[in-house]
Amino acid sequence: MNDDDIDADVTDRMLLQRMSTGDRAALSVLYRSYHGRLCRFLSRLTRRPDVIEEVINDCFWVAWQKAGSFHGDSRVSTWLMGIAYRCGLKALRQHGDEPVEDDPQSEQRTPEHDLDEDRELRDWLSKGLDHLSVDQRVVIELVYGVGHTLDDVAVIMQCPVGTVKARLFHARVKLRNVLPALAGDSPKHKEGAP
Amino acid sequence: MTFPKHSGRDCVRAWDTMPWVLQDSATPEQGAWLEGHLAQCESCRTEFAQQSRLRQAMSLPTDISLDANVGLRRLLGRLDTPDAQEAPYRSRSRSWLSRALVAVVLIQALSIGALGVKLWSTGGNPAYRTLSQEPVPAATGTIRVVPDAAMTLADWNALLHTLHLQVVGGPNDVGAYTVAPTSSTSTTHALQQLRATRGIRLAEPVAVTP
Repeated sequence: MNDDDIDADVTDRMLLQRMSTGDRAALSVLYRSYHGRLCRFLSRLTRRPDVIEEVINDCFWVAWQKAGSFHGDSRVSTWLMGIAYRCGLKALRQHGDEPVEDDPQSEQRTPEHDLDEDRELRDWLSKGLDHLSVDQRVVIELVYGVGHTLDDVAVIMQCPVGTVKARLFHARVKLRNVLPALAGDSPKHKEGAP
Repeated sequence: MTFPKHSGRDCVRAWDTMPWVLQDSATPEQGAWLEGHLAQCESCRTEFAQQSRLRQAMSLPTDISLDANVGLRRLLGRLDTPDAQEAPYRSRSRSWLSRALVAVVLIQALSIGALGVKLWSTGGNPAYRTLSQEPVPAATGTIRVVPDAAMTLADWNALLHTLHLQVVGGPNDVGAYTVAPTSSTSTTHALQQLRATRGIRLAEPVAVTP
């Protein structure tokens, strides 16, 4: 954890403390601070914006209710991600885990400032993630997207570190085999090869 | 996790180190070691390049655009009416549970009541008798009869029919039957007839205990 992470966690803890006393302004600050991160994280679980918003609000509903019982065993971000993950899985069970197929609105969803290179990168990533299980996508997002450690991911997913390692390994192997290699090269590696 | 034999131990180590170097959580020593390994291993260089691209792609903001302010307003609205959203579901489920429990209790009560009425109507005398129970006391006018072993069943039945008697008990361990008159036949008369019949070894009135 670097200094920025420590500072951010101190701020988050103060916000949680205020939330435990019913301070809605603190809730609003924390909500805005995590909205983008949670939105991207949950977009690895489902492509339905309505479900993502519902899960984010469920997550903060739980955080609001349990702010006073946060013991600080982990970072606030880890704690929130864990809540979001469980709320997300619950939503998947309720709504089905089939992502909404690309529709005309998907073009509108793409940010206008999205450069061609970014768009190409998104497509490249999207094709790869489609081959992963939900848990593998979550591990990849938490490690490569959010930057969590294996220990953090184990806390978030409530599973042993060894399980996280295995999911990360298999996700990486699968991604390497299915993603077009850089500069348009075809994949050269076989399953299980580093 | 299995790696092919041609993969060196350093390649495995490089594979494990890449994510943490990419997210800047590896130690400077790990970073320097990986850099040195990549300089001499083309396979790992290719892999690291792809991992870097993956990291870059994962860092892009999501293409799903949600307005945080709209979501926050909904959340705050939900906080204002927590009971309206949470309570109805709970009360509905509780209500159904309560109704189901009441129905079960009512069914049980009705069943117990019906069983009680049935038992009461039978007067407490069971329609069966267990082997361990004492034999039913003989009624007045019954006769204990021991027919000869050589007496045929046909003769025995004919005798009972003639004397208007029927077997109400037996035979016991010594072959004695208890017979009772089926009509207003005099016990004394039947007793005399039995004693006079050939093939009847014993005929005695049953002494009734007062």
